Amino acid sequence: MAKYLPLLIILLPIFGSVLIRLVRFKSRKAMCIYTEALVIINSILVLLTILLDHDVILEVVHFTGDLSISFAMDDLSVVFSGLVAFLWPLATLYSFEYMKKEEHENTFFMFFVMTYGVTLGIATAEDYITMYCFYELLTIVTVPLVMHTLTREAILASRKYLYYSLGGAAFAFISLIFIIHYGDTNRFILGGTLNLDLVGDRTNVLLLIYVLAFFGFGVKAALCPFNSWLPSASVAPTPVTALLHAVAVVKAGAFAVIRMTYYSFGADFLRGTWAQYVVMSATIVTIVYGCSRALKETHFKRRLAYSTISNLSYILFGCALMTPAGMTGAITHLVFHALMKITAFFCAGAVMYQTDRHYVYELDGLGKKMPWTFSVFTVASLALMGVPGFAGFISKWNLASAAVESKNPLAYVGIAALLVSALLTAIYMLSVVIRAFFPGKDFDERKVAECKDPNLLMLIPLGIFAVTVLLFGICSSPFTEFFAKVAAGM
Amino acid sequence: MREWLFTINGICGFGLAFKLDGFRLLYSAIATLMWVCSMIFSVEYMAHYKNKLRYYAFSAVTYFATVGVFLSSDLYTTFVFFEIMSLASYVWVIQDERKESLRAGDTYLAIAVIGGLVMLMGIFMIYVQTGTTDLTALSFDGSRMQFIAGTLMLFGFAAKAGGFPLHIWLPKAHPVAPAPASALLSGILTKAGVFGILLLSCYLFWGNEKWGTLILTIGVITMFLGALLALFSVDLKRTLACSSVSQIGFILTGTGVYDLLKEHNALAAGGVLMHMVNHSMIKLLLFMAAGVVYMNLHELDLNQIRGFGRKKPLLKIQFLMGALGIGGIPLFNGYVSKTLIHESIVEYRELLEEGVLMPFLYGKGLITLIEWIFIISGGITIAYMTKLFVVLFVEKNSDEERQKRFDEKKHYMSVASAVVLSIPALFMILAGMFPHFIPESFIRLSTGFLRSQALENFRYFSLTNLTGGFYSIAIGAVLYLFVVRKCLMKDGEYVNRWPKYLDLEEYVYRPLLLIVLPAVLGFLCRILDRFVDTATPVLIHCGVFVCRLADRFIDSIVVGLRKTVFKEEKLPQERIEGSPATHLIGSWMDHAIHVMNDTVWEYKPKKENAEHRLAMIHTKISENNAIIVRSLSFALSLAGIGLILILLFMLI
Repeated sequence: MAKYLPLLIILLPIFGSVLIRLVRFKSRKAMCIYTEALVIINSILVLLTILLDHDVILEVVHFTGDLSISFAMDDLSVVFSGLVAFLWPLATLYSFEYMKKEEHENTFFMFFVMTYGVTLGIATAEDYITMYCFYELLTIVTVPLVMHTLTREAILASRKYLYYSLGGAAFAFISLIFIIHYGDTNRFILGGTLNLDLVGDRTNVLLLIYVLAFFGFGVKAALCPFNSWLPSASVAPTPVTALLHAVAVVKAGAFAVIRMTYYSFGADFLRGTWAQYVVMSATIVTIVYGCSRALKETHFKRRLAYSTISNLSYILFGCALMTPAGMTGAITHLVFHALMKITAFFCAGAVMYQTDRHYVYELDGLGKKMPWTFSVFTVASLALMGVPGFAGFISKWNLASAAVESKNPLAYVGIAALLVSALLTAIYMLSVVIRAFFPGKDFDERKVAECKDPNLLMLIPLGIFAVTVLLFGICSSPFTEFFAKVAAGM
Repeated sequence: MREWLFTINGICGFGLAFKLDGFRLLYSAIATLMWVCSMIFSVEYMAHYKNKLRYYAFSAVTYFATVGVFLSSDLYTTFVFFEIMSLASYVWVIQDERKESLRAGDTYLAIAVIGGLVMLMGIFMIYVQTGTTDLTALSFDGSRMQFIAGTLMLFGFAAKAGGFPLHIWLPKAHPVAPAPASALLSGILTKAGVFGILLLSCYLFWGNEKWGTLILTIGVITMFLGALLALFSVDLKRTLACSSVSQIGFILTGTGVYDLLKEHNALAAGGVLMHMVNHSMIKLLLFMAAGVVYMNLHELDLNQIRGFGRKKPLLKIQFLMGALGIGGIPLFNGYVSKTLIHESIVEYRELLEEGVLMPFLYGKGLITLIEWIFIISGGITIAYMTKLFVVLFVEKNSDEERQKRFDEKKHYMSVASAVVLSIPALFMILAGMFPHFIPESFIRLSTGFLRSQALENFRYFSLTNLTGGFYSIAIGAVLYLFVVRKCLMKDGEYVNRWPKYLDLEEYVYRPLLLIVLPAVLGFLCRILDRFVDTATPVLIHCGVFVCRLADRFIDSIVVGLRKTVFKEEKLPQERIEGSPATHLIGSWMDHAIHVMNDTVWEYKPKKENAEHRLAMIHTKISENNAIIVRSLSFALSLAGIGLILILLFMLI
């Protein structure tokens, strides 16, 4: 039985979620309980899988040669699936309250839970082809979520999202073919599977393919210049923006890049080549780009979306360093940023839900009326800035020290970019906090008289996230040590 | 003194490390004393303020963080608590949430965040290069990287200390913060910055001339500029804030000389330490005194508060103590520390003359100039303190009714406030009267941290030492009489003669950070966005064009083929039906039918046209033939027949 757990955790949400739409629940509450139970059970199963089933390969479909759909829970999968399993139940809990005001809830929750399974599929995919399949599937199941409100804006955004994602995946597909052709196998093995005898003098072709695939997967990770789908997609309901566009989808992109770089092409093959310089420059440009746009943006959620763009490129930057330390930094930021950003987004969602305010300049004085929400938001802001004692500091420090260790001249530019970005982050996040808490003396209190903190369904996830962010900041060593072990392949 | 080490491993990423030695003990104790005094004073001062809970809560956090800074043993711990301190103390600055407070708060926060980040960069570089952030384990290896790292850290610490050109937050933040908070901001938070600079100067760059020269330069500029700003200021707390900048300059000057003097640093170390302690105490007293004025009048403009202190002997004496202390008048504490720093400059010059030390950048002449700037700055200090004292306690207000109200005000502070104001006032005089007792014991306590020798038999009241003090007093008197009374007053009112355009913040930093930086980045981003936005349609159009070309290409191939190889035959003209054979047989048959009709079938003639019928049959057969001939089965059957024939042939 334990052998089939990796398959079960993928299929259970995918098929279990269909029932949400098919079964006529007696009440909304019953639907909510069913959904939450499904998600929690699946999370427990993920935990079990992590504990029991380590590095056992489960081959589900065998095509030919070594092409197969197969799953395994290796170290990197543990990180990503553990993260997803932790966040999904809380996000679902939050969505129950948030989605109260929206229509077609059942459809929403069906796709929401289905995405869980598909994301786990990406996390536990054992070879390139499986990951690619689930990667495409992820795009398809998330489009209805972006389109949920069915406004013209949402439809346009989802169309954009579809084009970008599928287009990117097409480039990634090319690399799949090349890996199958020039590699010993398309399985994921730390250090890469390219067969240098087969490659021969076609190194430059493969590097070109790598760059194409990096940008291809980078589309989901919102790498500049393929980022414009992400801010547009923030028309989706906040749980979607928070969970999918700060965690699942974009992190799937980053995760795929890590897989491809370290497990398929191999860091040794890429290090020091022109391909590394190209992709690293792109990430550095994106880091500064995202922050600068966030600074100029006045829409609350879009500001956070731009901040996500910048932070995702931190991960890609770590990945582009092509060293174990760089990978450690990338994984650390992958996990920590997920926590910080989902916290920030959920706060934004709580504000929008309670007060229907969408722009930063409308937030004056809300801090006094919604103290819990904005306290949590302050924690998230400080963490995103990288103040020591919070999670963000650890990952940024890891990234920066990896950059120095790599002795790559371009990496120093990257550190400068991190510094500039930290400064800009401070400005665009703290300006929200300051507005909310210190509106100024002549502020008219009546404007916010109606506003208050959301109910517990929303506050509990917020509180848990805030505590986790602090906890990760204060005792981060077990995590970072584990991540370092993952990167070292131990 | 013994050292105690205390580390907490595994938290905040690298673990925190604390150390208790003489200096750290001294400064933690001073911090505690200052917090106790200012919090007691706050009870009365804050009585009518809103958000009291927030004020006290953040004061507590700041206290905890400040002590954390002073007790920290490695740079990382210092940084952690430094950041907490910076961010928590922001709430002090914006306590009353007025527009100018929020603006000053922005400045404060910006300096704190930028300073913090730059400092982090420096710590990071040191850590990467040496693998440790414990400065006591390090010594400067002369590499450029370490010097840059040190400079970056200096940026962060000097930003908090108020060194030029990052002093801009002090004159903005102090006047708007509540007075007890200003006292702490100026008295102890700036010292946290100085503490950081001392860490660098006493350990990493101990005895490094380049570093010493850098600190000395910053110190001299800060000292003189701060004093000048204070002289021109017409706002009570702003004057004190600028005075803080200037006093920090004195301390930095001492620190610079400390490094230049190498192992002869006893005087400089003692001077630096004592000036830190003195300045903490003096500013505690003066800001609380300013707080007494503000809490009664809600005014800080010198012209408005003029004459407030008349007939208030207690406040007068307390303020006078502070003024004399900071002015460096003999028998008061400021004189002790200023003399020590002054003598260390003289000592450096003498050592240069004797050839014991080699001049680095500043030769004898320049050192003499610095000595004079030092004395003149002391003079300016005396001038602006005299100005404040005269305004508050000697002159009468121009509005007589106001003055009357001032004089009638008998209860202007509570007993508790009076007591906490008296504590630092007492310190001034005790430390000044018994320099061998209080100050020297402090210095002995700190020699371990400062890596210096204890002072031996220094004669504070020798003639040469007194002369320096008297020069300052003379310059102060001249400045007060001829500059303050003549130039800075108009029709009996104090006017601000400081040119507006000499405002670094308004005309350099803010535009740079708020206009130039976002504009440049925004512009670049927009170009990038534009590029993407235009590139996509262009790409699509190109794609479509290529596809169309390709389409056309295929089309043209098809057309070409159709016109050449697969040219369709022209539809033939309607042929005459049938073949000659059918015509012949048909015509015969028609004749026959004709004959038969006439004869046999007379009554029942046949109307058919045999020729046509035959022709139709012929056409049908030929069509069928064509189909059969072209069909696969025909080909197969032919092949089969062929095979059979071959078989037969082979058999026969």
